[in-house]
Amino acid sequence: MSLIDKYPYGKAPFALLVIAIVSVGLRVATARRDGERPDLVIATYSDAHYDAYRKAIPRFERERGVKVQVQQVHWASLQSRLQNSMLADVETPDLAEMFENSLGYFTRGPAEDFGIIDLTDWLHRDGLYDRMVESRFSLWMSRGRVYALPHDVHPVMFSYRRDLVEKLGIDVSQLDTWDKFVEAGQRISRDFDGDGLIDHYMMDLRFDGAWGLDTLMFQRGGQFFDPQGEVAFATEDTAELIRWYILQTRGPKKIAYDCGWGQPVAKAMIDGLVVFQWTPDWRSWVFQDEVPSLKGKMALMPMPAWKPGGRRTSVWGGTGLIIMKRTKNPELAWDLAKFLYFDTPELGRRFQATNIVPVLKDAWDLPEFDRPNPYWSNLPIGRMYAALAPETPPVYSSPVDAHARTQLDLAYARSAEHFMKYGEAGLMEVTRAHLAEAAANVRRYASRENKLRTAKR
Amino acid sequence: MRKVLYKGPAPYLLLSPYLFWAAVFFIVPFVNAIVLAFYETNGPRSRAFVGLDNFRFLLHDANFHAALLNTTIFALVSVCVQLPLAMGLALLLNGGGSRLRGIFRLIFFSPNLVGQVLVGILFSVLFTPRYGLITRGFQAFFHWGIEARWLMDPPLIMPAIVLTSLWLWVGFNMVYFLAALQTVDKSLEEAARIDGANAWQVFWHVTLPSMRHVVVFVVIMTVIGSYQLFELPLTLLSETYGFGAKNAGLTLITYLNFMGFRSGDLGLGSAVGWVIAVIIFTISLIQIRIARLTED
Repeated sequence: MSLIDKYPYGKAPFALLVIAIVSVGLRVATARRDGERPDLVIATYSDAHYDAYRKAIPRFERERGVKVQVQQVHWASLQSRLQNSMLADVETPDLAEMFENSLGYFTRGPAEDFGIIDLTDWLHRDGLYDRMVESRFSLWMSRGRVYALPHDVHPVMFSYRRDLVEKLGIDVSQLDTWDKFVEAGQRISRDFDGDGLIDHYMMDLRFDGAWGLDTLMFQRGGQFFDPQGEVAFATEDTAELIRWYILQTRGPKKIAYDCGWGQPVAKAMIDGLVVFQWTPDWRSWVFQDEVPSLKGKMALMPMPAWKPGGRRTSVWGGTGLIIMKRTKNPELAWDLAKFLYFDTPELGRRFQATNIVPVLKDAWDLPEFDRPNPYWSNLPIGRMYAALAPETPPVYSSPVDAHARTQLDLAYARSAEHFMKYGEAGLMEVTRAHLAEAAANVRRYASRENKLRTAKR
Repeated sequence: MRKVLYKGPAPYLLLSPYLFWAAVFFIVPFVNAIVLAFYETNGPRSRAFVGLDNFRFLLHDANFHAALLNTTIFALVSVCVQLPLAMGLALLLNGGGSRLRGIFRLIFFSPNLVGQVLVGILFSVLFTPRYGLITRGFQAFFHWGIEARWLMDPPLIMPAIVLTSLWLWVGFNMVYFLAALQTVDKSLEEAARIDGANAWQVFWHVTLPSMRHVVVFVVIMTVIGSYQLFELPLTLLSETYGFGAKNAGLTLITYLNFMGFRSGDLGLGSAVGWVIAVIIFTISLIQIRIARLTED
């Protein structure tokens, strides 16, 4: 007679009892593990960072006699977990790497309620502020204070297939302004074989705005917000950019095609559907990894400038390291942050593994930055990105950052709709009106947040 | 009366674990959500009482209006397109052999097993201009659409979400209808045919009324599900926070998620939640009332 048959209350209650015992057992086992929390826990969303930190941290542990745990979490989960932990006022990692545009969430309400440490004084005290690319602090600033350590610069270049460019008769050395770029684009963005489809487009560009519009706006010196946090995108310059953007993505003289993301981009590159790809430093590694068949055929050039002699780059993306106020070892956490972000030999190895240009200017002198990269036709891409890094524009943050992005895209989409119906007639007037409305909406969202700053507690 | 209520400690002791967890996970959050709707909040420490401001804000917010309109359109299309398709499939399968029925039921139901997020990611690839299976399929059959930007062109965004949801939900609802069809009294249908009714008349006057309760249930669940549409637009339109160009894919729950969790305005998110609850409750009441009237 088995145990289950001997149980007096039947099979189902027996199964429930077993589940209850197992659950309690698991809880006890987990609780024991909780008790062994290391001195510091750092969370990151990046594969490359996770691998690099796991290799580097044992040295820090030996030198300081502490235990550090590295966790890897998908960026969206990491952000929502941090947000929920802060909302519920429960345990968080001591340090966490955040994705661009995520600081706004953590800097709502009164500054004393932020769940993250203000790093401004530490940066100045340790002489780090001046050693870094200053524009990169903007992404991690709120009310004039720095709340995250920027990890990278992410200058943008254009990548292209050398063989295709030669075949199409494009001289990349001449493409130093957008006017010349568009002119060349109109020459090659055509249906040469008569199948009703354009054979090659000059560049990849988001059809619905999003990162494409943002990146170009930053290159022109535009901003969503000014350093004081006031809405700054509804300008004549942005209206002009939207007009230009619409002409490149729609209508008879378009030169841009939206390749999407992931595999479709790889396919478009291999097929030669799109000649120039937007390539910030991190994406140069993505192409190496995801489109290996183009090894040796690819090259890089600076972006065209809006005016002769103007800025030849922009910025796309960013990672920052925040330290939680809940950490029991804030100074130790700061030491770990410095160890990971400013250990120069380690930064060289990390560049080699990721192509990402660190924000620490001293690191650009490392030999890894001069090494030719076989994927990119043996170009010293580290040197090329580093040369553009000081020019990267700032990107100021705000608690209503996401609202600003959706509102700019909305103004653009409405203007594009006007263009599709009426052409260029009245386009600028309509765009100005949509931008003004979008800015008013963002101010309305911001005014709600402002109430919190003076709320009774 | 006292004896009726109190029958010793045992029932209360046995019920207490359930009551405790229900209080923790249902009653407390429920009450908290009501309170939150009248506050602007930022985590556990800072909050400002704003009275009805959150609701007033929604009245004047164009994004909320777009979300309400989009969601209502989706709900209407779901009821008017998805359910007839599900019924049609169920009728087709109801006539087939039992082995074939089992196989097709599994085939049509299986999209629902993989989850909305995966379906969203899958369809975002299928909708890719030039290379996607759907764009190529449209080109092959209709000589249109090879460069259609289903997920970026405002007029195409809602149709793309509807197409994806059809693939996901038609089979699911078909299972309900198929189960209901198998309970319909065959002798009634046979009698109608002998009386000279054609196939449509048999379906409309005999079959459909016989499965009325299931149809009402499926319609109510479809409307509720439609007003809770979230994962599909969020994954299909992930680059724009689930909004889509010109807010063409913005739904009420996406708006709630954006306001509450992306922007951290939990008070406003809570107010949106209550508005959605009231909408769903009202529509469900109307549907039940109409169903009762037709029954009478």
